[in-house]
Amino acid sequence: VEVDRVNRLHPRVQVVWIGRALLLAAVIGAVVTAVDRLAFSLPSPVVPGVVAGLALLGVGHAILRYRNWGYEVREDSLYLERGVLTQVRTVVPFVRIQHVDSSRGPVQRLLGLANVVVYTAGSRGADVSVPGLTPDGADDLRERLRRLAIRAESEDAV
Amino acid sequence: MTKLSPLSVPYRVLQRGGSILFAVLFAVASGASAIPFVGVAGPLVFVGLAGVLVLLVVAYEVAYYERYEYELTTDTFDIRSGVFARRNREIPLRRIQNVDIRRNVVQRVIGIAAVDFETAGGSETEAAIRFVSFEEAKRLQAEIARLKRDESRPTEEDTPAAELFALSTKELALVGALSFDFRVPGALFVLASGSVPLLTSLVPDGGGLPVLFGVVLVLFLGVVLFSWAAGAVVAIVNYYGFGLRRVGDELQYERGLLQRYDGSIPVDKVQTLTIEDNPLKRYFGYATLYIETAGYAPGQGDSPGSQAAVPLATRARVERLANDIESFGSPAFDRPPRRVRRRYAARYLIALAAVTGVLFGVDAVLPGSIPWFAAVGLLPFVPVAAHYKWKHRGVWLGPNHVVTRNGVLKRQVKIVPYYRIQTIIDTRTIFQRRWDLATVTADTAGSLSLVQQDAAAVDVDAGEADRLRTALDSRLLTALAERRQTHRRRPSPGAWEPEPDRGAEPASATDEAVTDSDDGSGGSDDEEASGGSSDKEASGGGSDKEASGGGDDEEASGGGDDEEASGGGSDKEASGGGDGADAVEDAESSDADAVEDDSDD
Repeated sequence: VEVDRVNRLHPRVQVVWIGRALLLAAVIGAVVTAVDRLAFSLPSPVVPGVVAGLALLGVGHAILRYRNWGYEVREDSLYLERGVLTQVRTVVPFVRIQHVDSSRGPVQRLLGLANVVVYTAGSRGADVSVPGLTPDGADDLRERLRRLAIRAESEDAV
Repeated sequence: MTKLSPLSVPYRVLQRGGSILFAVLFAVASGASAIPFVGVAGPLVFVGLAGVLVLLVVAYEVAYYERYEYELTTDTFDIRSGVFARRNREIPLRRIQNVDIRRNVVQRVIGIAAVDFETAGGSETEAAIRFVSFEEAKRLQAEIARLKRDESRPTEEDTPAAELFALSTKELALVGALSFDFRVPGALFVLASGSVPLLTSLVPDGGGLPVLFGVVLVLFLGVVLFSWAAGAVVAIVNYYGFGLRRVGDELQYERGLLQRYDGSIPVDKVQTLTIEDNPLKRYFGYATLYIETAGYAPGQGDSPGSQAAVPLATRARVERLANDIESFGSPAFDRPPRRVRRRYAARYLIALAAVTGVLFGVDAVLPGSIPWFAAVGLLPFVPVAAHYKWKHRGVWLGPNHVVTRNGVLKRQVKIVPYYRIQTIIDTRTIFQRRWDLATVTADTAGSLSLVQQDAAAVDVDAGEADRLRTALDSRLLTALAERRQTHRRRPSPGAWEPEPDRGAEPASATDEAVTDSDDGSGGSDDEEASGGSSDKEASGGGSDKEASGGGDDEEASGGGDDEEASGGGSDKEASGGGDGADAVEDAESSDADAVEDDSDD
């Protein structure tokens, strides 16, 4: 049985997350600008300050998020750790996997990235998603988890 | 094929006619002048139209009755229905989790009942029969339970129903006395918010703040009293004549004063048990027991907040009953580390400071002065509250169950069999990390968990959390493996298969394996086999009733459940899409098998 060490995500996933953070900062900046122009004028450094601050926070968060993300295909279970403010470690036993998807959104296709989503019947961790994989890596992981899920059952039963 | 009760026709006519009449009256009342037939011939036309309408309703209901047929076969429940659009539906019996019978006062007088069938994870009722005679409803409930149990051993004698619990009059009074219906203050608030002038007119002029406080206090007391009274009435109406029985592998309950409920909970579908109490109940030594099955909690739709399997009983009795269902023993909880108390104290201090700050702000803005420093008076209670919060937390890893305990005002003890665990989640907030703490949650496929808390060991030491995580993971796998062994080694007594066959024959071993494999990878290829082999699981479930009380009893009792749990997951997704029939067909491919069989016939 092969056991991995903790895997990191592909570094390019940071681009997605940073882009998302910058977009959010821009949207909020637009709203603040609108308030500034239409409702009541704010002190001049407020608008750029808000945008810059949000952007900085977002970028920092994205980088930390990447650093903290890791997954590991263990002997009997899939192990994930992630989170910046709240760190979450999830153990998904292979026997509990219902099905596994790999998916690619438009942005991810542009950047050559893919997701793997693992579904269980649980009420809370019902779907566990591993972002930032290469398309091949995602397909491999999906296939591997699928095989392990099937084997986990038959092996246990013997 | 069986038909509905003939009495359902007049009842449905009156029911439907009543709602149509109401709608017409409403229309007339709201816009009478717009109606064309107000002249001399008006009343005649109106009577004529009403007559036609009545005829239509009667004709439709008679046709509905004529066209509605159902049949209970050995492995499916078939319904053929529909006046205009016909619908044939087959529900595999093993997918049926609960059979609920409901009767309101009128229905009880004329002796008919509504029957609902629930399957795992479905957000809606799988089939609703309106209406059959009460005897027929009870027969269906009992027959489905028997067929599910006896699929693999038809000659088994029926086990007599064992009374587990009956709510005495005194206990019913206590349930009422301890119930507050918090929906009432909410409704009152909404009503009152529309009549602020009325309320302000209640305040005598020039009375100043003390009078205002007095009025507020009286109003507050009134609301509390009222919600208490309403809660008492609701609880008594809900739980009048409550009784819980064990019939074979099922728990059957009945309750209700006006509307009478008869429901069944399959023991092998139980995911989590919750024992709940509050300081009052603790003081008097009482507790409430909730039973959670995958995707459905009995009584869910009708009266949210009253899904209690046992509304109130002495703590010892509740624990005995819970042990009857899942023999977990008596937990010896490990509390979180003592430093957690300081964390809670700090948290409460911050909350106090915030309240004081807000009050101070209000004081500064409003004319006059309010005692903004009043909250400081709570200061001595901070360490006490922190201590109790710590004291009532705990986690225990039993031989077959993980048991967690949380909460002071609403203390919940959650009992989760290891083999029910779906995923294990370890979360550490930035504040918890400062104290080197973590929260470990054992997620199950239950339904209540969507609204309520999962079983969680809150604020355990970080190192302990690492240990818990691995322990839960490995115990889940061990428990699953053991259950499979038990299934193979201990066939149900009374099974027609001779024992050596099952143990030795490789064919049956793989059969079992395939069955069990259903619990995990619901989506994939081995699904088809599960249809046939889960019958064996049902027999495994059946076996435990003879062995009940035994230590590893609950391992056997879980037969066939995981598959339901996983079915629950896929159901949830499917039922979001198409209508009920699609959900039944699409959600589980083994169901689709049954449907295919049907079309071949």
